[in-house]
Amino acid sequence: MVSKRAEQFLVELRMYLISKGKNDQEINEITEELEDHLTEAEAAGKDVSHIIGDSPKNYMKSIGESMKTDYRQLAGLVPLMILLLTAYLSIGPAIEGTFSVSQGTIWFALVISSISILVYGLFLFKVMPKFFQSKWNYVLFTVTFLAVTGLMIAFMFWYKSQEFEVVFVATPAQNNLIIVLCAVIFIGAALYTKTWFTVLIPLFLSMGPIATRFVPEEANNDPLYITITILAFLLASAVAIAIFIFQSKKDQKKI
Amino acid sequence: MADTTQMLKGILDGCLLSIIKEGEIYGYELAAKLESYGFHSFSEGTIYPLLLRMQKEGLVSTTLRKSTAGPKRKYYSLTEKGEQELEQFIIRWTQLSSSVNNVLNKGCFRNDCC
Repeated sequence: MVSKRAEQFLVELRMYLISKGKNDQEINEITEELEDHLTEAEAAGKDVSHIIGDSPKNYMKSIGESMKTDYRQLAGLVPLMILLLTAYLSIGPAIEGTFSVSQGTIWFALVISSISILVYGLFLFKVMPKFFQSKWNYVLFTVTFLAVTGLMIAFMFWYKSQEFEVVFVATPAQNNLIIVLCAVIFIGAALYTKTWFTVLIPLFLSMGPIATRFVPEEANNDPLYITITILAFLLASAVAIAIFIFQSKKDQKKI
Repeated sequence: MADTTQMLKGILDGCLLSIIKEGEIYGYELAAKLESYGFHSFSEGTIYPLLLRMQKEGLVSTTLRKSTAGPKRKYYSLTEKGEQELEQFIIRWTQLSSSVNNVLNKGCFRNDCC
């Protein structure tokens, strides 16, 4: 077992190396090796700074520079990200049965994707490692999540008001086909990255559209139903986020 | 001390190779050995970027072994290329240290210079 400070350093190092596109296996090796070293050193009464020096940042940099950037791994991730984002954006309308492509669709997808990649990327690699040990992590994640979702909704309203010329409207059969395709992409991505959240997030995102497709029209006008739904969603998101953070902490401990 | 760290660059490589030559060894043990030889002022973690690089250059090879505590341990051993590099280092170091000593002691290495 290592001290909290050492553990914090190991998490920061891992995130730093991932963000620099290093090979997963090599990242595991070096963090395991350092954890072993830190465990022994701390057991011998040495301080973390005795191992990593006064500037953890410089030390992380020197490790990163000694490792190859795995361009093949990165090259595989880019098409995967594009497929995943396309699937994320298509599954909602497809479930609602309203999938269509207009001239603005590409722009809409590009803007939404870049914003979410940028914000979540910053959060995951820069902010989260710093607050790994503290409860602020939960607060920060919720704020980030709400901010991005809010931005997306605002953008969606703007997009709808633009009335772009529609070039393709899916038939009910095509909508179902798109749902199946999206599901295949999500499951494939989950298997490829060995993470389960690529399946859970779309399930979560689909709840809204599934509800609009199957809940009768009258319910949409009843304020009581609306309040209950909002509360249920807030509760569900809180639980999902908590599970996600708890799980990633557990994963980190195993490493 | 930052100054020592600067000076150590390059020299530490040779020292690591020389210690690894004595037999298979893992990271912490390697750092402890260095310390026992009198290297006190460097941070122990410095060896890992060097080891990573030496591994990449094929100077050392690694094997994973089970350890008594926690995760598997990575043991380093010298490759043939590493042995050659160590020999080169010893030649370079002998020349360099005698030159530096000459400068510091104001001695000469050519008999006719003074």
